[in-house]
This record gives sequence, structure tokens and C-alpha cells, in this order.
Amino acid sequence: MAILLSEAFKVGGEWSLAGYADFISKPLNRTVFFRTLKLGALVVLVSAVVGYAAAFCIVNLEPAKRGRMFGLIILPLMISPVARTYAWIVILGRTGIVNNTLVGLGISDTPIRFLFTETAVFLGLLQLFMPLMIIALISSMENMPKDAIAAARVLGANWFQVFTRVILPLTREGLVLGGTLVFTGALTAYITPAILGGSKVLMLETLLYQRVNVSNDYVSAGIIATILIVMSFGANVVLRRLAKA
Amino acid sequence: MSQTWASRVILSLTLLFLIGPFFIIIFAGLSAGSTLSFPPDGLSLKWYLAVFSVESFRQSFMLSMLLAVFGTLTALLLGVPAAYAICRYKIPGAETIKLIVAAPIIVPGIIVGLALLRYLVVPLNFTVTLALFLAHTALVLPYAVRVVTATLENLRTDIEEAAILLGCTRLQAFTKAVLPNIKSGILAAFILGFVTSFNQVPVSLFLSGPGVRTLPIDMLAYMEITYDPSVAALSALLAFLSIAIVFIAEKTLGFSRYV
Amino acid sequence: MTLKYLLPLSIGALLASSSVFAKDKLTISVYSFAQDAYKEALYDPFEEICDCELVIETGNSVERMAKIEANAANPVIDMAVMSSHDALALARKGLLQKLDTSKLASFNDLYDAAKDPIGDNMAVGYTFYASSIVYRSDLVDIKSWGDLLQPAVAGRVALPNITGTQGPLTLHMLSQALGHEGIDFTDTINAIGEKADDIVTFYVRSSQLAQLMQQEEVIAAPVGRFAWSRFSGSDLPFKWAEPAEGQTGGMNVMLMTKGNGNEELAYKLMDYWLSAEVQTRVANAKIDSPANSKVEVSADIADSLTYGADLINSLNMISPDDIIDNRDSWVEQWNSNVIQ
Repeated sequence: MAILLSEAFKVGGEWSLAGYADFISKPLNRTVFFRTLKLGALVVLVSAVVGYAAAFCIVNLEPAKRGRMFGLIILPLMISPVARTYAWIVILGRTGIVNNTLVGLGISDTPIRFLFTETAVFLGLLQLFMPLMIIALISSMENMPKDAIAAARVLGANWFQVFTRVILPLTREGLVLGGTLVFTGALTAYITPAILGGSKVLMLETLLYQRVNVSNDYVSAGIIATILIVMSFGANVVLRRLAKA
Repeated sequence: MSQTWASRVILSLTLLFLIGPFFIIIFAGLSAGSTLSFPPDGLSLKWYLAVFSVESFRQSFMLSMLLAVFGTLTALLLGVPAAYAICRYKIPGAETIKLIVAAPIIVPGIIVGLALLRYLVVPLNFTVTLALFLAHTALVLPYAVRVVTATLENLRTDIEEAAILLGCTRLQAFTKAVLPNIKSGILAAFILGFVTSFNQVPVSLFLSGPGVRTLPIDMLAYMEITYDPSVAALSALLAFLSIAIVFIAEKTLGFSRYV
Repeated sequence: MTLKYLLPLSIGALLASSSVFAKDKLTISVYSFAQDAYKEALYDPFEEICDCELVIETGNSVERMAKIEANAANPVIDMAVMSSHDALALARKGLLQKLDTSKLASFNDLYDAAKDPIGDNMAVGYTFYASSIVYRSDLVDIKSWGDLLQPAVAGRVALPNITGTQGPLTLHMLSQALGHEGIDFTDTINAIGEKADDIVTFYVRSSQLAQLMQQEEVIAAPVGRFAWSRFSGSDLPFKWAEPAEGQTGGMNVMLMTKGNGNEELAYKLMDYWLSAEVQTRVANAKIDSPANSKVEVSADIADSLTYGADLINSLNMISPDDIIDNRDSWVEQWNSNVIQ
């Protein structure tokens, strides 16, 4: 396995710093880098907020319902990302449900263009990876002593305090795991940015494919791969720090 | 009372966002028209039936199924002891091992796939199926290690210490005291791994040989040729299959006890 | 684990016991498009004639090229069909072998442009396609390539991405419409960059475009004739433009990998594929337009193809050399001026 992993790095094996300088000097690469960082962070943030609320609700359900809920949460994970992404085209399109509703209710005069915008990519990624966050949070919440929250409440803590002082510290591992999975997932997703963002909203991963596909440029591909790896390790470290603070 | 109500609203909205698109896919697959659309142009089962007539779908489904099941099982066989070692023995460089094991998640799939093709399939004459199996195992391993580690870290160490005091060997303590307590973590890891493997696209993109192709790759290729709702129908069928898996897991393992 | 190996083993045993296993095998790499029709028109009849087994590998051209390159030392693919410039890229890397055209009985019947499209007899053309603009005739009227950047279609027009085959073709024609000459597309790319917000997307696959046009997201876009059937069969009023600057187009070619050791069968297939018989069958199935000048089809069939010497000679093609030599710089300019 170790050989296999080291091989994985060899494709872009002949990097030099000059390559990096050249890479960063191109405005497109910088735009794509910051866009990827921004969308990745946003997806983690939103899925953590929604994830905590949802996971907390699920953990507090009675066991039978909990199992069913858990099943429903992992259900979207079972559906091919290819198909789920295409569903968003049907939803967000010019004659899709959202636009029909907006125009029908008179909120907007003309259909709004959602496809091939950052909004579409964001929604697609969020839908794709939020279940991972919820599962990770549920998994760590179930090991949380049930009476801790009750104790805190009895001691006069309000819900915000309960969250920051009790739930957050006890679910740190889950948050870090979920955050890392979601962030790296968003970074390395290919189909969603490819279909919903297209070539107008390039992300690092789609840019990487373009480099490999069009110009057989393995140097750039290796650089992008390195950047992606550094970014997700960075995310792991940052999330750990945040969780401890 | 209001708390239950709030909880229902939160869960309903979350589920609407997560599962809504799935219903759209089901209905888009029921369309009587010839393009993917919602609401569908009339209702018909023809696209669902069409799926079964595509021979390559049957082949690629079997391949994806075998890869997902055996890749994930192998990953768990490697991953559970690894996770245990990382958590219980303060081995030097545990953090580094975690990072190395996580690499296949983070290294973009196309690089992994291409590396395998260039360094294993071509010079060493590995079959494409074997390369796919290795790739999928490597892909799933991080999920196995990380999910199981997260569960282990929340498990109190005194359970196994108690077991050892009561005369168990280290191995017995592991199988009798630790394993039953991390079942939910292992199950979660299996489900995550299975799904990741089953839906994997970029790694498998370069690892398809004549007649050997995973299902998602086949779907993508099919979508390039025709743009009819049969891909939606196939996705819906796969989703029904997964509901069945979760349902059976619940009935036989008592899934919810571990959740 | 055991099951994993048992299953292939038992299948292997089954195969070995039947005669299929003993037959000669020819592995070909083709576009994934219209495989069912190809099976009927070409693969099945060929297998019967040659008493051999065809193994078909499909995918997009870049994946297929990468695989041929990765397996160069020990070719898996014996014969492949590609766009002429992709074939040239492979030839320049020394991955192809020179074709002995005397082994192709129909060679002299091919249109001249198809005989030696990339030089050195490294490939031979088997089909042509025109490229023009598909548009919604009820909403707009397209009379020139320049109309793609006009306000009438702003916010509802798609262009092919520079990375695909159609991208450079569109730039070529748009350049002519904007009054530039040659293959320096700098000004044209800048002109597109200025209008980038008006362009819905830069599409990659024609199937994706078909979907966007069905959903009325896009009302005009350049596309290859091979995708026309996706539009002509629709309920919506799609029309094929005949722009003032003319149509552009391209050619797909057959090639053979170097040292594949299966030359005899590969020539047999190429010969059969180029024959008037197969080319007519393929044309009548509306899959690929013929490169064999002896093929005759009905007016109705001709209408959905790129058919006849006059039309083929009128296409404003770009030479494969120009594409391969300049593509990197086009992509570079495109990336910094259009996709921001």
C-alpha cells in the first residue's frame, strides 16, 4: 500500500519551485484557487451549522425513529453523484422548479440564471457532502454522556452555553472528522463543479482535469494536486485548532 | 412540546434538501418524453424497463458491487487493527500514519488512477480488475481508519482493562470487549466505504479496460451518447437498492441500536 | 476474497470450454457514441466474416489517447478511431505505425481529403462532419457566425469550450466574421472575453448542449453535424444555420498503434469499414457521414449527414498541424481572457 501511495505522487514527481512560481503568476490559477477555498469553507460552515441542528435532533429521537432517520440521511450518499448533480440542472434550470416558482409568484420578471454560477456549485456540493458531516456528528454525539446536557441545564446554562461548553467540546472529534471529510470532498469533487459550474466556474479539480486532458500537462497537474493535499491537511489542522479553542 | 416541533421542522427541511432531488430523479425517470425533465412529460415505466435491456449496465453493476463489497471488507481488515493501534498504543508517529492513510482521499482521483495505470497495470501486467480492486481498497481505507478511530477515541479504555484483569488476553479483550462496542463505528465505516467505492468516478476513469468498467463510468459514458431519462431511472433503482440494504441492516443488525 | 477470485475463475472456465476463447481477438478503441447501431452495421457482420472476436473500448478521446500512450510498450489497443488532430498528436509521439494503403481495397474511392489527412500515411479518414450553429428559429435568426456575440442571443448563447474539438472551429469562423485572418485568434478571444457574461456556458459535450437547448437555457450554439439528430428530432423548432462565412468542420480518422502485432486483422477491419457496403450502412443508420465517394444515399438521409463532394470541399477546416501547434497558446489566452 505504501508503494502504491508513493507512486501516486510520482506522476507529478518532477516539480521544481519554478513551476510553482509560474503557476501562481497566472491570474486564472489564483482565481480558481481562492474560489475553491471559499466554496470549500462555505460548504463546511453551512453543513456544520445545519449538521449540528440535525444531528442533535436525530440523537434525541426514540431509537426506532433514529434508525430510520439515519437511513434517510445516508440515503443521498447512496445515489450516484452523477445523477444527483443532474437533478440540480432540472431544479435550477431556466424552466426548472425554482425559476417557475419565482416567475409564477411574480418575485422575478424573468428567469434567473443559476446554472454555471458559484451558487449552483455551492448547492450541489452542500447536498453532496452534508450527510458526511451529519453522520460524523451523530457518531460522536451518541458517545456523549446523555446526562451532561441535562446537568448543564440544571446548573442554569442556556442553550448557547450548553452548545459551546458541553456539546462542542464533547463532539470535537466528530466535527474535525466531518469537517475534514466535507472539505476534502468539496475540494476533490469533480462531477459537481464540472456539470454545475462547467468551464465558467472552474475549481482546482476541474482545472486539474483540464490540464491533464488538454495539454497533458502533468507538471501543473502535480502542482494542483499538491495544493489540494496541502489545503486539506491545512483544513484538518485549522479545524482541530478551532475545535480546541 | 415546542422542542419536538422545532426538531421536526429542522429535520424536515434538512431532508427536503438532501432527498428532494432524489424524488425529482425518480419522477424524471418516469417521464414518457425523451429528455430528462421535471415535471415529467407524461408518465411511463419505459425508461425503468429500458435500464434492464442495457447489457453493459448489468456487467458494470456486478463489477461495481464486487469492488465495493470486497474492497471495503479488505480495507476494514487492514483499517480496524490500524485504528486500534493508533488509539491504544502511543506509537511514535501515529499522527503521520493517520495522514498517510488519509492520502488517497486527498490526492485527486485522476492522479491515483493514472499512477496505477502507469506504474502497476502497464509495467507489472496487473489486470485492470486487480488495479481497480487495489484502488478501491486504498480509497476506502482512510474512511475505515478515521471513522473507527473516532469511535475508539470515545470508548473508555477501562472496559478492556477490566477484561484483561478478568483473565482475557489482549486479543480476547479486543474481540470480546472492544469490537462489540465499536460495531456502530465499523458499520458506519462499511457503509461510507461501500458508498464511496460504488460511486467513485475519477479513480476508475483511467482504470477501465475492454469490457471492464464500473457502473458510474458506464453511466457517464451512456449519458454522453443518449440523453434520455434512463440514467435517472437507473439512479432511482440504485437508490431503492440502497434503501433495501439499510432496511435489512436495520432488521438484522438492529442498526438503530448503534446509531 | 475467495468469492472474488472464484467468480472470475468460473467464468473463465466457462469461456475456455466454449469455442469463443479460441478465436483471434482484435481490440479497437472508438467513440462511445451510437454503439448499438455500430454493432449492427459493422461489428457483428465483421465478426462473422473474420471469424474473430472484436473487443470494443469506448470513452472520450483524451482518455483513450492517454491509455494508448500509457500502454505504448505493449499495446492493448490495436486499432483506433480519433479526430484528425488527436491522431496527429499520437503520431508525433511516435505511437502510430504507417499504414500500407495497398491493403485497403477502397482507398482510391475515398475523398481526396481523407486519403492522407495527417501526413506520412499515418491515418486515413473514415468520416467527415460539418459544424455550424443550431438555433431556435422561433426566437432568433442566425445569419453569420458574428451573430453569436449579438445582443439578440445575449444570456442565452453557449459556445464550445476551447478544450474540445468544436472550440477551435468556432474561433476560426468567428475570426472570419469579425474580419480577422489566419489562425491568430487573439482578437477573437478578447472579443469573446468582453462578452463572457452574456454566454451561458462553454460546453464540453454535445449531449450536454442538447439538454440545455431542450430546457430552453440556450437558444443558439455552434455544434457538429453528428449531433444534429439530437435537435432535429425535437418538438422545438431547431434550425441548422447556413452562415454567410460558410460552415466549418472536421474529419475523424482510423489509425493503428505501433507494434501491436495484430496488423492483419486490423487491416481487415479498416478495409471492411471503408468499403462502400459498410459506409452505406453506417450512413443509412445516420451515424457517420461517408468518406467513401462511391456511397449513395437518399436525399432524406443526405440531409441529416455531411454528404457529397461539394459540401465536403466547402468546409472551412483547420489543418491538424495548426491545431496541435497552436492549441496550448489558444487555451492560455482563453484561460486568461475569457474564463475569469
